[in-house]
Amino acid sequence: MFYRLSGIHHTSYVSDSRLYKIPADRNLALFFLALGLAAPFLVGSLYLNSYMLPWLVWTAAALGLNLVTGWAGQLHLGYAAVMAVGAYSAVHAARYGLPWEFALLIGGISASVIGSLFAFAALRVKGLYLALTTLAMQFVMDWVLTHSPAISGGSHASLQAPTFALLGQRITSDTGLYYVAFGWCLLVTIFMLNLRRTGLGRALVAVREKDYAAAILGVNSFYYKIVAFATSSFIGGVSGAILVATFFFLAAPEQFSVAVSIQVLAMVIVGGLGSIIGTYFGVALILLVPGVVNGLVAEGAGALGLQLNVESLAHIPNAVYGAIIIIILMIEPLGLGKLYSNIRDYLRVWPFDQFKK
Amino acid sequence: MAETTQSPTVAGETIASVLMRNASEHGSDIALREKERGIWKATTWAQYTEEVLACAAGLDGLGLKPGDAVLILGDNRVRLYCGMLALATLGVYAMPAYPGTTLEELQHFADEANVVAALAEDQEQVDKILELRDAGAAQLKYIVYDDGRGLGFYKAAGLMSWEHLVESGSHRLNGEPGLRENLLGRAKPDDPAVFLHSSGTTDKPKGVVLSQKNVLAAARNGHAAGAFDFGEQVLAYLPMAWVGDYAITVAAALLLRFTVNVPERQETVLRDMREIAPTFYLAAPRSWDNILTTIQVGIENSTPLKKWLYHLFIERAMAAERRKLNGMSAGALEGIGRFIGEILIFGPIKDQFGMHRLKNAFTGGEAIGEDTFVFYRALGIKLRQLYGQTENSAINAIQAPDEVRLHTVGKVAPGVEVKIADNGEILLKSDSVFAGYYNKPEASAETLSAGWLRSGDAGYLEDDGNLVVLGRVSEVMHTKAGERYVPNYIENRLKFSPYIKDAAVVGAGRHELTAMVCIDFDAVGHWAEVNGVPYVSYADLSQREEVAALLSEAFLRVNKVLPEPLRLKRFVSLHKEFDPDDGEITRTRKLRRTVVEDRYQNVIAALYDGSKHVHVSAVVTYETGETGRVDRTLPVREV
Repeated sequence: MFYRLSGIHHTSYVSDSRLYKIPADRNLALFFLALGLAAPFLVGSLYLNSYMLPWLVWTAAALGLNLVTGWAGQLHLGYAAVMAVGAYSAVHAARYGLPWEFALLIGGISASVIGSLFAFAALRVKGLYLALTTLAMQFVMDWVLTHSPAISGGSHASLQAPTFALLGQRITSDTGLYYVAFGWCLLVTIFMLNLRRTGLGRALVAVREKDYAAAILGVNSFYYKIVAFATSSFIGGVSGAILVATFFFLAAPEQFSVAVSIQVLAMVIVGGLGSIIGTYFGVALILLVPGVVNGLVAEGAGALGLQLNVESLAHIPNAVYGAIIIIILMIEPLGLGKLYSNIRDYLRVWPFDQFKK
Repeated sequence: MAETTQSPTVAGETIASVLMRNASEHGSDIALREKERGIWKATTWAQYTEEVLACAAGLDGLGLKPGDAVLILGDNRVRLYCGMLALATLGVYAMPAYPGTTLEELQHFADEANVVAALAEDQEQVDKILELRDAGAAQLKYIVYDDGRGLGFYKAAGLMSWEHLVESGSHRLNGEPGLRENLLGRAKPDDPAVFLHSSGTTDKPKGVVLSQKNVLAAARNGHAAGAFDFGEQVLAYLPMAWVGDYAITVAAALLLRFTVNVPERQETVLRDMREIAPTFYLAAPRSWDNILTTIQVGIENSTPLKKWLYHLFIERAMAAERRKLNGMSAGALEGIGRFIGEILIFGPIKDQFGMHRLKNAFTGGEAIGEDTFVFYRALGIKLRQLYGQTENSAINAIQAPDEVRLHTVGKVAPGVEVKIADNGEILLKSDSVFAGYYNKPEASAETLSAGWLRSGDAGYLEDDGNLVVLGRVSEVMHTKAGERYVPNYIENRLKFSPYIKDAAVVGAGRHELTAMVCIDFDAVGHWAEVNGVPYVSYADLSQREEVAALLSEAFLRVNKVLPEPLRLKRFVSLHKEFDPDDGEITRTRKLRRTVVEDRYQNVIAALYDGSKHVHVSAVVTYETGETGRVDRTLPVREV
């Protein structure tokens, strides 16, 4: 209904490979961009830095994981470890006195180096074996963090991050920190959007569909898998560093435990493998819905006059939350992104049921 | 646009001079776009003119001279259009033929005029021309092709690629100073623009030569009547051998600087139309019917909500248009319904079919069914009727945009004079009327007298100047009781049913009317799939009881609006479609009544002698040219 395609024609291949070929899609993207920019003036500071900010940073991180899992098709269970490498390297660099710009870069590069070094070994196996190998990376990293005081400051210690600053400007306000997260998430999103129409993106998709079929086409699948791991680790590393710099303000090993790895993977799967908009939805669901459900259950119990003990109040939201995820995956196994594109298709062919011949 | 008030001048102009003017004044504007592998390749007026001149120089170098004819064979292609203009520049007859033309028909063309060369789209057409040459057309020396795929190893004499021709032409243009001016000034307004053929519903097609003055005058008349404006976007999808295509995509496009968009292939026209969203669209009623059928089938397939919304809005809007048609006001609340309907249903449908920007939508060639007409008006497309023939360059009378009337074809265009002969025949006089059939003085004398063209249509002028066309003079028929009827009118009503593709109504000199119908294979086939009716072929499907019930409904609906003596009593669903290759319909899909009545005489006999079944054995011509027989027993159904 809103997707008007008539009159759109391309007189060159450059125009044919535009990012948004349908004006409605572009307008929607611009609308959300404007909304994101205006968010500090629209929502209170509590919502801004305890919902919007982590949502955006985790989205950037999940997009990185989606690159390796959704695009290149390699299951990765040690993504939190990569984020930890980035976070700790950046914090150490910043504590050493380097400006945050360089610290973030160092965080990204070191995560990228360690991530791809690990991938060299891990990519000798495929599928579930690869998943287990990446899980091993997670445990190795956990062990290293808890057992090397030089990195983490001790087994139960946490590392204070210096005040965040960019271009010599100290950023301490909620709005400022929000814009940092927003900027990073936007950057990653733009990168991912464009990935689809580059040779790299197409090669990754070819590797995902069938790695030896891709090899027959002349795509060096091992090389592209490494590139996917390196790129995704870079995004993960910087996201980890930004998370610490703008949200946690200190780095601790449990922020990057195996549970976190599983959680990011859940964000990607609920959102939809290979879907960008889906990743936004997925992160929102995994990250924000528990809080919402908590509030609703508590309020609902209060409104109905039910006397629930503290334990039930803590467990019912978890059950509801689990049920939501199961229901969504039952309705659309390909995730929220696919759900969105189903709706989009429904409106695109409106008032027909399918594209005509 | 300030230009709208400006009138395209014509006096003494030729195709070459108009082309040159466009190139010098608007050289960088887009004249043509052709879709190639998904990309619309644009050609500016300057490039277009250069290509035409180079082609003309090349053809001139081959020794083509006025009086010769060149066959143009293929679907719409930019190069074929360039070739037609180049031939007009040289004063040579450009003779476009339908891409599906059979060898027999081509032979008729070759016997008729001195065809010395052919401009072919691709290998398929080149093969046909080589066959024609083998069949005795030895004077056909040169064959120029556009698409060289599959032609690499052809060794035929005189076969050359378009690139080769144009290259040799531009070589001459560079080498011989003065040739350019010579070419541009060579043709005079009375020299031929195009050599077309009358549709030939009654006998063999007759050659119609339209001069450059004729076609440009028709374009100017059309502009003056408000049919189109400067700079329209048009889609060149009509067969090049139809006068409508020449009048719009060549003559009017030149004079008013349209951007002509050539679709990638015939099969992609619907999609290409959506990409271009033309502002001007001319189609035969049959095409409008086809789009309507596609819409209806699409909606039938749709989800309940969408279906419900569609019916809710379209039925209201159609009822309102019907009231307007009957001279009443549209009714209160009509505006609100239309506004919401436009957002929810009409807009999206128009968008899907590329009719969003459509300002000037025309139907021409034959009468259009009321239901189709009302449907498009309801959608918000100001569909108008246009009246014309091959002999007068297609554009004669045009309806005003806000005129919701079906029985008239609108006011006569400025520059055209009309009078009604004593026998009720419409006579026309204009600069756009041709000078006579090619080499057929008797036929010409019969058609033209003192500059007045006998249109062959019966009609009258209303007091307000609107022209009413009743039907072909030769087609007004009478039943035995003396009841007057026009079979075409009833057939069009039948064809509004999405399930009926063609119909032939018989009953001249009989007590009652009956009909033979051909089902629409796509629509009925789809219906059969949805309703679980098994079938194996067209012949099988057309005879199913369930399908007969479907057809009966359509007949009952048509009978409701017909006066009692003209109601259709019985029908036979034929086992094959009418096919231009079998000569049953023309290439523009008009019924060849005499052929049909002759070929199906035993069916017609069975329709009247009370038998329940009729045995037929039809001759089918396959695309290879072979013929085969199909034997079938068809039941005669009562309505």
